[in-house]
Amino acid sequence: MTASAVEHLRRLGPSRRVELPDAVAGTVRLDMREEGRTEHWYLTIGDQRVQVSRSTDDAELVVRADREIFDQLARGEIHPAEALMRNEVTVQGDIRLFMLLRRIFPGPPDARHPRELTTGTGGGR
Amino acid sequence: MRQERLHVISGNAFAIGDGQGDIEVDPQAPVGLFFFDTRFLSRWVLTVGGERLNALSRDDLTYFETRFVLVPGAASHYVDADVSVIRHRSLDDSFNERLTVLNHAAEPAYLTVRMEIGADFADIAEVGQPRHREVVVTPDAERGLLRLRYARGRFARETVISSTAPAEIDRSGMTFRIRVEPDGQWNTDLHIAMTFQGEAGRDMRADLTTHRHHIRRGMRDDLQAWLDRAPQLVAEHEALPALYRGSLTDLAALRYEPLSSVDRVPVGGLPWAMSLYGRDSLITCLQTLPFVPELTPATLRLLALLQGGQLDDEHDEEPGKILAELRYGELAAFGDRPTALYYGAADTTPLFVILLDEYERWSGDGELVRQLRHPARMALDWIDEYGDLVGDGYLRYQSRNPRTGTVNQTWKDSAGAIVDRRCRAPALPRATCELQGYAYDAKVRGARLAREFWDDPEYADRLERQAAQLRERFNRDFWLPHRGHYALALGPDGEPVDALSSNIGHLLWSGIVDEGRAGAVAEHLLGPDMFSGWGVRTLAAGQRPYNPVGSHVGAIWPSDNSLIAAGLRRYGYDEQAARITAGILEMAHTLGGAVPEVIAGYPRSLTKYPVQLPSAGRPQSWSSGAVLLLLSTMLGLRPCGDNLLVDPRLPKGFGRIELLDIPGRWGHADAYGRDRVTVSRPRLR
Repeated sequence: MTASAVEHLRRLGPSRRVELPDAVAGTVRLDMREEGRTEHWYLTIGDQRVQVSRSTDDAELVVRADREIFDQLARGEIHPAEALMRNEVTVQGDIRLFMLLRRIFPGPPDARHPRELTTGTGGGR
Repeated sequence: MRQERLHVISGNAFAIGDGQGDIEVDPQAPVGLFFFDTRFLSRWVLTVGGERLNALSRDDLTYFETRFVLVPGAASHYVDADVSVIRHRSLDDSFNERLTVLNHAAEPAYLTVRMEIGADFADIAEVGQPRHREVVVTPDAERGLLRLRYARGRFARETVISSTAPAEIDRSGMTFRIRVEPDGQWNTDLHIAMTFQGEAGRDMRADLTTHRHHIRRGMRDDLQAWLDRAPQLVAEHEALPALYRGSLTDLAALRYEPLSSVDRVPVGGLPWAMSLYGRDSLITCLQTLPFVPELTPATLRLLALLQGGQLDDEHDEEPGKILAELRYGELAAFGDRPTALYYGAADTTPLFVILLDEYERWSGDGELVRQLRHPARMALDWIDEYGDLVGDGYLRYQSRNPRTGTVNQTWKDSAGAIVDRRCRAPALPRATCELQGYAYDAKVRGARLAREFWDDPEYADRLERQAAQLRERFNRDFWLPHRGHYALALGPDGEPVDALSSNIGHLLWSGIVDEGRAGAVAEHLLGPDMFSGWGVRTLAAGQRPYNPVGSHVGAIWPSDNSLIAAGLRRYGYDEQAARITAGILEMAHTLGGAVPEVIAGYPRSLTKYPVQLPSAGRPQSWSSGAVLLLLSTMLGLRPCGDNLLVDPRLPKGFGRIELLDIPGRWGHADAYGRDRVTVSRPRLR
């Protein structure tokens, strides 16, 4: 069963995430739209940790999209940068925090380690 | 006959048209007004009385500003024209064209001036054969606007043309029926705003007249300030000062502010690479540190921000990998190309670490090294974890995107670039030699950063151990004893690709070459098969794949040559470095204008004149940067602690050179050099 964005955020937990840059800190609010209402999720990022809460407070970056788009991001089905360029996701504030979503949400589920290409098939093309 | 093409540039916006200032679609060339990889104007044709115009003169005022003086009618009878037109265009975030119609007659002139206007919103990646797009055209007579809009879902791009003078507006342009008094003139300012639809259909950037004028004035001051911040060159050599200033100006033109950066970074170059290319930007920064160091922190920060975070086959992304290419066009947005953020490059990641270290050596900016510790560590980890594809300790590449991925993920990125002497391509994954040099250099430099800034001596020791092992292994496995040079690459099972290529020059630049072999490498580089007289060929003549007009199999790249010259000096081959320096600078001077990215590899003695390739773009950041690196190489500029070391070895005939106010951790310092041949013998030229 694939997770929704909300489930993914709930599961993040308070532990250190080594893939997050240690010198980057900031607040990001995710505004998930669905059927005329908006749900606000608030991420406080710092010290390689992501603290998740529900809040409508101002954030340094506000990311808005339909809930379905967030769900696709959380399943790694769409790339945040492409969604942004298609205007399926809009941002307000410090866009530099946007790329952190690439570290917080997973990549495509079928992605391979580059070495997988060369083992098994013997390499080459 | 090929049309003359003229351009104005402002960051990643550019407009290419013909010698009269008109824009008409040409499948062979990216003609039009482009911004963020999208063509916002594909038709922009001026007529007076139904006639096209002819140019009497043209003045390229700056890279963002051109003025055309035109007269109506065919070339045969315009001499007695009593009407002339001045077309003054400038480009910033918007495109502006001021039309001035002058009446030289004693009678009032009643004229019909028309601008044909169209936009196809093609992605620059497909201008040869753009797909059909439904463009909604809305003439808005009341507000004096013509609106062209293309939308696909929420994705929308819009061009809005407005005129300060009253116009009749129809779906394909604007018509002005004007009366011009004797010796009088008529003006209009045409303004073309290019918008990206964002939240709720709003525009991302302000579009105010005041803002526009502010920017235009600002750009002139900005260019002057950029030139003023760079060191001043005083030289006896007749061509050098102009070449230096031209290169600095080209570098200014090619700076842009990506959406996710507050500072400007270099784009690749005109016309095909007006976007962020990790490799081009990194090399450009490395070339320009002694001159315009401000490009580097902006580039490092941006590339750190865009560093790979996940495994992603389509985008050839892995955690820690540094970007290859970033595009904003429709093909990227909808995933037809992986270029929204494409990571298909094996060299960008080590080059990132190399640049970070080199930048600190010049600037003394240890704070940035500390801030970028995490991305730099991830980059260093990437080399071993994801770059070593078969586990033999060599950095390799193989795209996981068979549809649109890049096959050769190094600077020689054309499909047929990596072949042996008999034109056979090795299997994948491939380990080209210069990648090993970069990896070695990155580890050596990473060790210094770990020891001096990251307080991690154990990690530093480990990197140094790895670097030493790599160097030893490399000199064993890549060396071709019977040929006396390094192999271009190794195939997946370690079999050498035996071509003689310019890549071996990069090995000198990286310092991975055993001292005892540097002489043989230098001799090859300057031998008749490799050195054309203008520069070192990408691939030596006398091998099956050699082709003097093949980009990566015989042609000559100034950027490549600048790194080779720097490498030769590193190993003490000063005379050889000077020959390359003289050849490239003479080529650039002979051609005039911006330094092209590549020229043909024909022998200089055969063609006398450098042969240009139609595919070669200019200006190009790393070609303009090459002039700067050759200059610092001939002066032997090197940071040494808190001092600037100067060790000049000038090519014959270069006379005296002074480079004043070189910025760095020493504040500002001066460098002087003279051609020692000049003082002992008569000048050669």
